[in-house]
Amino acid sequence: MDVSQYLEIFIDETKEHLQNLSQQLMILEEEPDNADTINEIFRAAHSLKGMAGTMGYKRMQHLTHIMENALSEIRNGKMNVNAELVDVLFQCLDALETYLDNIVESQDEGTEDNEPIIARLNVFLNGGGGEAPAPKKEEKEAPKQEESSQGKEVKLNEYEAKAVNEAFNKNLNVYSLEVHVDENCILKAARAFLVFKAVEELGEIIKSDPSAQDIEDERFDLEFTIVVITEKDMEIVKKAVENVSEIRKVVANKISNVPKTAGAEETSVEKKADSSAVAVAEKSSAPAAASKSATTTKTGGKPVVNRSVRVDIEKLDVLMNLVSELIIAKNGLMSVSSNEEGMVSAAFNEQVEYLERVTTNLHESVMKVRMMPIETVTQKFPKMVRDLSKKLDKQMKLFITGEDTELDRTVIDEIGDPLMHLIRNSADHGLEDGETRAQRGKDPVGNIYLDAYQDGNNVVIEVRDDGNGIDVEKIRSKAIERGAVTPEQAEALTDKEVIDFLFQPSFSTAKQVTDVSGRGVGLDVVKTKIESLGGDIEVKTMLGEGSTFIIRLPLTLAIIQSLMVEVGGEKYAISLGSIQTIEDVLVTDIKYVQSKEVINLRGTVIPLIRLDSILDIEPSQENVESLTAVIVKKGDRLAGLIVDSLIGQQEIVIKSLGKYMSNNSKIISGATILGDGEVALILDANALV
Amino acid sequence: MEIAKIENQTTQYIVVNLGIEQYGIDIKYVDNIVRMQKITRVPKAPRFFRGVINLRGEIVPIMSVRRKFELDEDVITDKTRIIILKPEHQEAIGIIVDEVKEVLALDSDSIEKIQSNQNDEKAKYINAVGKYNDNLISILNINGVIDI
Repeated sequence: MDVSQYLEIFIDETKEHLQNLSQQLMILEEEPDNADTINEIFRAAHSLKGMAGTMGYKRMQHLTHIMENALSEIRNGKMNVNAELVDVLFQCLDALETYLDNIVESQDEGTEDNEPIIARLNVFLNGGGGEAPAPKKEEKEAPKQEESSQGKEVKLNEYEAKAVNEAFNKNLNVYSLEVHVDENCILKAARAFLVFKAVEELGEIIKSDPSAQDIEDERFDLEFTIVVITEKDMEIVKKAVENVSEIRKVVANKISNVPKTAGAEETSVEKKADSSAVAVAEKSSAPAAASKSATTTKTGGKPVVNRSVRVDIEKLDVLMNLVSELIIAKNGLMSVSSNEEGMVSAAFNEQVEYLERVTTNLHESVMKVRMMPIETVTQKFPKMVRDLSKKLDKQMKLFITGEDTELDRTVIDEIGDPLMHLIRNSADHGLEDGETRAQRGKDPVGNIYLDAYQDGNNVVIEVRDDGNGIDVEKIRSKAIERGAVTPEQAEALTDKEVIDFLFQPSFSTAKQVTDVSGRGVGLDVVKTKIESLGGDIEVKTMLGEGSTFIIRLPLTLAIIQSLMVEVGGEKYAISLGSIQTIEDVLVTDIKYVQSKEVINLRGTVIPLIRLDSILDIEPSQENVESLTAVIVKKGDRLAGLIVDSLIGQQEIVIKSLGKYMSNNSKIISGATILGDGEVALILDANALV
Repeated sequence: MEIAKIENQTTQYIVVNLGIEQYGIDIKYVDNIVRMQKITRVPKAPRFFRGVINLRGEIVPIMSVRRKFELDEDVITDKTRIIILKPEHQEAIGIIVDEVKEVLALDSDSIEKIQSNQNDEKAKYINAVGKYNDNLISILNINGVIDI
């Protein structure tokens, strides 16, 4: 069978299941008795097995099969969860991930059989109560069978009951067939289909439980029930079904009386749902409802399928570009309407405003399509920290908040590695070992926090630990040792400048190179990556108390709301997201701190930045009494940008300045085309503050 | 005749005036020729970049060849043009010229390669001299000119 066309889906789904598996295993480690978790793990392993089998990945299938066996033992209370077992399960997970990686690369699962892991699992399977797995299986099946023969009376609705009635009138036989599919069956739906086909040759299927659609979609466990009307004998029908391969057992029952009560029950339940409760039927409807809920819990747990379409990111890029063009065109219209005052009617203005609303909404919608929660990146970290904890022999915990914070897809794709680096850093260099922590009066379990949140037009991701913090003096001496600075220069450097050394290539302060980190290829790569995404990174640290790495990323990459300002006859755009307030500053209020201009704004001292001097514009000679300051913020730092005048708020499309211009200064982050076709530059407040 | 043409490959050049000299630009590099328009200055950019313009929705950097060649400042007249160059695999870039004269087809016989002098900074901007009637046309080495 050619399955290559399903490969992509297989990879995506396998990733999902592995992720789920990893999360659930983490929970299982904490709560070994959590039945829901065990069920969830079982289901994940089971689905993986089925999928791997369908795709012909035999080794993967075998491994998941063994996992499934072990989990089913746990599920049935035959085996207890202990740390060792969880460990083995984690190893299985790693092995499965390796298979998947191989498949992604070469469409082939590779040749690793992972015998040791399988052997260890088998030890658990055989160890437990000294019983071989085979008899256990039977035991496990026994109660199920009981339950099915008693409790699983087929419920027929009105129409079906009518059909049965008619069948009786015509002297036809009605059977209910309970079909048990073999546990190892991979294509359950296909088997079920064959059963349906075989039965349909002999008679008419009037009912199936779960519904035919659910069976087709493989939404059933290992058995399903069908009701068939036929003139043939029961044995013939039974044989026909049993002839289908991988069908383990068929329990056939003849329905001899019209199941009136069942029909009544069903209808009463339906009526109840229709809001008019029938008092008399209430008693009898209770068990029906109970059995219904029982079946839903069985099939439940599978996440509600989101209605979604896979779209190539490039198509979205095209869409985004078109939206950009539309906004430029709209800005053009707006400037036409504002230039020729009196010439245009109010209706025209109204339409332009309407157009603006539509384009803004359109832009937001397209942006949203491109957004993904950061969770897609962070969800693999708990497992990573767990592994690091074992590897480094330090106890640590990871706390993640704000996983639902959304970022542009292109950013999401790139941000994973830098975050991973930072967490590794925290785990390896940041956190002290348990003993040291105890001596310092800290909880021996180290904490790493990953917090993501939106801040204006930025998304901020903080990676924080309560470890040792960065030893600034150590870096200082290291910098001298490396010859990066002279001792005199080093003395003059501020702590912040010293910490910046960490972001330079091959500058590692780790005394020992471990296989986790310490090779000095880390923070500089992180910084480069984040800057290439238009973001920046800063560090806050307190020796002995921990350090925080703060990553700031632009929320949107293409279109922003901005404030247009004028400086020396030139127009500049400042992202609205970074603007705090706009203030009129009296010249007499300007004070000097370290010969730099500052103002005291409602108790906060804010440095002033003369944009004209920074932008190499001839300062105006006029003596003015007050200046206009645009107060911008970056993190918790503020600065006042002095501008000549304010033009107004505008939605702008960010265009790159190209390689010829972009390498000289970071204060210009791009350019935009105004409504009249003129080019205005975009000031990056982050680079100015 | 036909055969002779193939042997002596002709190349088309756009001939422009820049100060007192005439320069030729291989037509394969030229994307467009536009009139002088408002150039938005970009602070902190190299001096020979006058800024950027909007060319049908694209931001295109504009270089002053006069500044690059250390000639007198550009004098903007009615005849001043911006030639948009689009070298292979590179971003478009505009250069300011005093005047666009004509398009000239020169065969390889009438083009003389210049021995490049490593010490002369300006030599890398010109890679040949074309002879046409009595005029001498310096053929611009576009990759050298736009290299920064």
